[in-house]
Formats: sequence, C-alpha cells, structure tokens
Amino acid sequence: MRAWLLLLGGLIVWAVHFFGLYIVASVFLTTDTARMLALLVTLACLIADAMLLAAAMRANRAADDGTRRWIASLAALGAAISLVAVIWQGLPALLV
Amino acid sequence: MTSETGFDPKLYDRFPTREPRPEGELEELERIWHAPTGWARLTVVNNNFIGTWYVGAAFLFFILAGVLALVMRTQLALPLQGILPQETYNQFFTMHGTVMMFLFAVPAVEALGVLLLPQMLAARDLPFPRLSAYAFWAYLVGGLSFFCSLFFGLAPDGGWFMYPPLTSIAYSPGINADFWLLGIGFIEISAIAGAIEIVVGVLRTRAPGMTLDKMPIFAWAMLVFAVMIIIGFPSIILGTLLLELERALNWPFFDPTRGGDALLWQHLFWFFGHPEVYIIFLPAAGLVSMMVAALARTPLVGYQLIVLALLATGFISFGVWSHHMFVTGMPTLSVSFFSAASMAVSVPAGIQVFSWIATVAVGKPRNNTPTLFLLGGLVTFVIGGLTGVMVALVPFDWQAHDSYFIVAHLHYVLIGGMVFPLFAAFYYWAPMMSRRALSERLGKWVFWLMFAGMQVAFLPMHLTGLMGMPRRVYTYLPGRDWEVTNMISTIGAYMIGLGVLLFVIDLARNFRFTAGDEAGNVYGGGTLEWLPTGLYSTRSIPVVKSREPLWDDPKLSDDVEAGRYFLPNSATGHRETLITSPIRAEPEYLQIMPGPSAWPLFAAIFTAGFFLLLTVQAYNPSIASGVLAVLCVLRWLWETDRPVAKAHADVGAGIILPTYATGPRTHGWWAMTVLLVVIGMIFVMAVFSYLYLYGVHPSFWTSPPDAPWLLPIIGGHAAAAGFALLARRLLARERTTLWTPATLVLIAAGFALFAFAIDWWSWRATGLTGATSGQGATVHAFLALQGILTAIVALMALYLAARNARGIVTRPRNNSMDLTVMFIAYTAAQGTLAALLTRLFPGAI
Repeated sequence: MRAWLLLLGGLIVWAVHFFGLYIVASVFLTTDTARMLALLVTLACLIADAMLLAAAMRANRAADDGTRRWIASLAALGAAISLVAVIWQGLPALLV
Repeated sequence: MTSETGFDPKLYDRFPTREPRPEGELEELERIWHAPTGWARLTVVNNNFIGTWYVGAAFLFFILAGVLALVMRTQLALPLQGILPQETYNQFFTMHGTVMMFLFAVPAVEALGVLLLPQMLAARDLPFPRLSAYAFWAYLVGGLSFFCSLFFGLAPDGGWFMYPPLTSIAYSPGINADFWLLGIGFIEISAIAGAIEIVVGVLRTRAPGMTLDKMPIFAWAMLVFAVMIIIGFPSIILGTLLLELERALNWPFFDPTRGGDALLWQHLFWFFGHPEVYIIFLPAAGLVSMMVAALARTPLVGYQLIVLALLATGFISFGVWSHHMFVTGMPTLSVSFFSAASMAVSVPAGIQVFSWIATVAVGKPRNNTPTLFLLGGLVTFVIGGLTGVMVALVPFDWQAHDSYFIVAHLHYVLIGGMVFPLFAAFYYWAPMMSRRALSERLGKWVFWLMFAGMQVAFLPMHLTGLMGMPRRVYTYLPGRDWEVTNMISTIGAYMIGLGVLLFVIDLARNFRFTAGDEAGNVYGGGTLEWLPTGLYSTRSIPVVKSREPLWDDPKLSDDVEAGRYFLPNSATGHRETLITSPIRAEPEYLQIMPGPSAWPLFAAIFTAGFFLLLTVQAYNPSIASGVLAVLCVLRWLWETDRPVAKAHADVGAGIILPTYATGPRTHGWWAMTVLLVVIGMIFVMAVFSYLYLYGVHPSFWTSPPDAPWLLPIIGGHAAAAGFALLARRLLARERTTLWTPATLVLIAAGFALFAFAIDWWSWRATGLTGATSGQGATVHAFLALQGILTAIVALMALYLAARNARGIVTRPRNNSMDLTVMFIAYTAAQGTLAALLTRLFPGAI
C-alpha cells in the first residue's frame, strides 16, 4: 500500500485540490471568501506536493533495484506535474 | 533484489529448465482446456472464444449505429428532406449516440482486454472466466433486444444524455425513455463485471517477473480504464436509477417545483460522461503505444512518461465534467476552475502524442495498413484535441455549444482517438487468432476511404456549426448557406461507410478463427501475446525480464513451447493459472479456474430479461426473470471455492505453491474489494445528490425523525458487523459446535434487516414520502440502496448456510465466508453513515 500511495500521491493531491476548489466555489460562489479559501486549499496542496516530491526523490536515491527506482521516479514525476497543475488550477481564484 | 512476498527471485534462475518434459503433458493440457463443440460451444468460457465473440459483437453494433448515421446524413444532405420524420430522427440520433458509446466503444475496448490481456500477461486466462462469459452474453442479448426497440418505434428519443425535464414523465410519457434508463442497466452491469475482471487480472495474473515497470503499456491503459469505470460508472448507475424512480414513482429528484433540480442529472451524467471519453480513449491509446513500437521496430519512446500520462488522465478526467455545463449559469469561479482543468487535460494527451511521434521518428516504420491507421488516427485525434481546447475556453463554448461544431469536435476525438486505432488493432492482431492475416491491399483501400471520408464528413461540419446550425435538428430551411457543407458531409459519411464495407469483405475473405494454428507474428511484435498458444494460452509461463521479451530473447518462444518455464503441465489436473503479487509479479499461489458452464449464459439471458421486461412494464415476468438470474449466478458459484486434492503443487523447476489461499491476498478478496468500491461510489454520488438538493432548495427541507431513533439503527448495524466478524473468527476454531459460524452469519443478516426496518419505519412515521420533496426522494433513495444491500446480505447468508450444510465451508479459513463477512461489514457501515447523514444534516450539523 505504501508503494501505491507514493506512486499515486501527487495525482491524489491534484484530485483533492480540484474537488476542494469545486466545493469552495459551489458553497461560497464567486466571492472573496471563496477566493481566499481557494488560495488556502492551493497552498496546502502545494505543500503536500512538495513533501511528496521530496519523499519520492529520497526513495529514488535509496532504491536498491530497478523496479523500486522506477516507481520512485514515476512518483516524483507525478508530484512534479501535480505541483504545476495545482498552481494552474488555482490561478482562476486570482485572475477571474 | 527486494522481494514483495518472501519469494526468492533467485529461483527464477532455474528457468529455462533443461530436463526433457514427460510424455503426455501437452495432451493433458489440451484435454483440460478443450472447448466444447456443437451447441455446447455456447457454454465456452476460454478468453480466446469469448474475447473474439465480444469484439465481433461490438463491431456488429458499430455497423448498426453506423447505418443509423448514414440514414441521418441522407436526411440532412438537402434541406427539407422527407426520409425520416422528426420523431424517428430523434430516435435515430439517440440510438446512434447511445449504441456507439454504450454498445460499441466501451464493450469493444473491454473485449480487446478480455482477448489480449491473458496473452500479453502470459496468464492461462483472466481470473474469472465465467464472469467474462456472463458479461459478454448479458451485453449481447440485452444489446440486441435494446436495439430492436427501434423497429417498434419505442427507441429512446431524448438524446444520448437524456436530460430531464425533456425525459421526465411529463414530456416523455411513453416507455421510450425507460428503454434507455433500464435498457442500459445490463450494459452497466456488464461493464462493471469486465472492469473487476481486468483490475484483478492485470494486478494478479501477470507472468512471474513482470514487474510494474515491465508491464505492457496496454495493461497499464486497461488498468486505468477499469479503475475509471469503477469510479465513473456508479454515477450513471445512480442517475438512471433516480430518473427511473422519478418516472415510475413520482419521486421528484429532478423537479425544481418540489425541491429537486434538473441540473442534478447533468452533474451525475457528466461525472460519468466526460471520463467516459477517456474510458474509451485510454485503451485505444494503449493499443497505439503497443503497435507503434512494433510497427516502427523500436522500443516505445518515453514508456514511463506514457504511464504517467495514463495515470494523470485517469485522475484529471474526473475534474472536467462541468465543461459540458458552461451555459447552465454556474458560478463564474466554478466555470473558471473547470475551464482550467479542461485545458490541463490536454497535457497528458500531448505527452502520448509526442511520444508516438518520437517513436515513429526514431524507428523504421513500414508502409502497411496498421501504420496508416495509426498515423491517420494521430492526425485526426490532434485536430479533435485542438478543437477540444477551443471549447474549453468558456466564451468560445458559449458560441459553439449545441452546434454542429461540437458534433465535429467529438467525432474527431472519438474516431481519431478510438476508431482508427481500433482498425489498426484489427489488422495488427488479427493474425493472432486467425489462420490468415487480413489483406494489406484491401486494408489500404479501407484506410484511405475511411480517412478521407472522415475529413470530408467532419471538417466542413465545423463550419456548419459556426454558421449556426444546431445539432439534433431533423431538417433545415433552404437559403441559410448550410446546404453545401451538409452535402459534403453526407458524401464523406458514405465514403466512411464504403471503407467499413470493404473491411467487412476483407474479414469475410480472410479471417478464419483459430486457437493454435494462427498466422502468427506478422508485424514482428516483441510482447508475449506473440508466443505460440493454444486454448490453454502458452504451453508454459515464462519469466519476464524485459518489456519486449521476444526481441530480447530470441529463444524464448521455443523454450516456452518446450515447457521449460512455469506450469508446463496441469499441476493439479484442473484448469489453473498463477496468481502473482501486484507490484513484482512474484508467484503466490495456484488458482484453480472454472471450466465451461451454461449457468453464466442463463444468468445473462435472465438478467437482460429482467431489465427489458421491466421496461415494457411486465412486472411479474420481470421479477421472475430476476429471481432466475440470481439462482443461475448462485448455481455457477456453487461449484467454485473448493480446495482440490493436492494442497500444494510443483509449478515448475521444483517450486512449490499452495493450491488454495484465503485472506487479503486472494483474487476473490480483491474482486470483492473492487465491487465494494463500486457500491461505495454509488453511495458517494447519492450523498452528493442529497447535499446538492439541499444546497439549491433548502426551503423544501423538513425535520428528520428524532435523534433517539439512531440508537437502534446504529446498534443493529454494529451487531450485524460484530456477529459477522465473530463468525469469521470462530470458523478457525474447528471444535465450535454450539453456534456454527454460518448460524452467526444468519444472525448478522437478521440484525442488518432489523436496522434497515427501523430506519425505514422511523422515516414513515414522520409522514415524509419519496414523492413529497427532493429531501423525501433522496432519503428514500438511500433507503432503497440500503434495502438492496440488505437483501443481498440475506441472500449471501443463506447461500453460506447452504454451503455449510453441505460441508463445503472449509476450515480454518474460507473465501465464501470471508467475502460474505466483508459485504455485511460494508453494508453496516453504509447504513450507519446514511442514517447519520439524513438525520444530522441539516440540523445538528
């Protein structure tokens, strides 16, 4: 289970972030409260992504065989793409 | 090297073995895996047969839906044509979309999974072959019956996404809408059954050594596909259930005058509907990734990035559903979030496209039919992807919404992303199951006709849409400048039709099904499906050391065929396959597999009968059919979960594995877990519906039953779960005689029934009925779901008691017991959560 969580962690954060934004915008509509909450959710998810990225890179360095290294590097890529996606996804709270 | 299960990877070094194999092993394998002949052939469960029939059936529906499209295009070729009256046209476009999406696209890729996955993973078969057979027959029988509604003027006519209020009883009073709502019930069941099979198959039946990083990309794609079905389909299952309940019982889920909301349907539908596009696209993308490497004769560029892209698509596709609802007046911020997500989803698709282009550029592709279809699909899909980004931009979408621009966009995506890759796959993999390959000469004609026809038909359609022609109109007035583009589109449609006709001729001339005498690896693929096979799949199951084992080990085919790897024989005298661990594919135990049986076929016929008879309001026959379906399923299960005489068996090179296993690592446990996720997702979507309706119409909400009712309800559920878990614990004590574990499970079922009855009664006491308001409707939907689960619990408890009475509940652990206990515990948890939510929110919370 730990391996799967590491592998999918970044993408899970991405999904959590999206649904968090959806709930915020649905409940608080287009208000300053919604923008603030969206930014808070975004910040929390960015921190989670950064931690996951660091954990994946550590796991990559510590890997003692090809499969473990492959999983760790895929996890790092997932966390990295999630990091960018979360920023992109959070931008409308500032721009719209 | 690290081990996942305690298996010593050094044991792999014993393969390939060098000793000669004993005489008669191959003959025994052939005898055990022999397919029945004559009429009994219908009871076959081998994936070679079921997979091929499944693909054939999906292709049949493609042709049927295509014929509908041609008739529609003929109607639209000129203004004011009188070929199709308006009502019939409505049925035609609804059936075209519904059949293409539900009866062709999803089943086609699922069918390819059933056909190709065991071969690619070098498994003897997928882990639940009877489930595959059931899924196929339910789909075929139900699908054909559903299609026939068209001949009686009873086909659904509300569009493939069936928006209420148009599809509510007020505006669609006949049974046409019910045909859609109930008619696709069996397709949902079939898709879920297939998804369970694929998840467990990919994660638990891979050849030893096939670690996640060596898994064929198609297996990755099918894994993501199956998980998406498991997460996405429950939404449409719940949606169709709610709309049918509204139509049949007047429960106003979608009626805003009584606290419902029509937009709830759109949310439920598109939470399934948009991922559905990727559910269709991802397996096709997996096929492309497999073929492009073989056809370019070089390893796939960016394997790891493609896996990332598949996974990312699987996740983000669930965050874009509302881009189909940009014109419904959602909050600006919501619309902006969905717009951003819709643009972001093009990134993973782009990663795959660039990877394919790089693979073609690096390799040495030949000019053959599958390559042409791949490249044609690539170009077409990219155009569709670009227009997809255009409609992700909200202001553009407001202009193009519901116009022919959207029709053009979705056809570019689906034909480029799925249909062309599927035809490439037909040409590429046909030699795997046919004595002759398909014709290259005819194939090129097929491609050019279809590719040119596609562009001729759909490129002008963008213009037609931008000039203002709405979709779903049965005709139009002259003088609006739509005549020329419509005529061109119709010519293109006929070109596609001609291409498909040529393909059918090619099939008739060259495709000759076989399992053992196939044309073979015509295009030089490097993955395991090109090993020599029989009905038992490969003679022995190889140890996998790379992603393209056939390229890296030229002797592999001979060694596998000579029985020098795992399972060169039948170790127990039964059908069997290796169950391996999910990450590193280490051998764990030997699964005994069921053989041919008529019960899945009968179960499928009665399942389809249940839904279709319900549609025509023949309630008593429908109930009888449903009961018979359940009895058939129980009868087929009755023969399973029985240990064989040999508790352990030599699976090759002196490696000994158990032949019966229980607990969380078994394939049955995994399948039940996946099923519970499906049920859990239905519950989650019901919770969403409940909260959504409160959010939009709180004025219709009334006080729930008093909080003290919670005590017996939660107590009943806790007792049910407790007795079930105690029963499992006691099973291990072989001397238990006073209360046999099966009796405890019956008591647990009794408590589940008690808790449900109290829950239901407490709501009845408040006077709130399902027809009162949106609150009443959703509360009763929760009760209906809980009622269904409780009935299943009772059935499972009785089934377990019957097995116990016959002495086939093994001690100290038993899979049937484990799965029953899991189900009861889940039912108790869901019942508790529903009771808490509906009583404490709104109000106490």
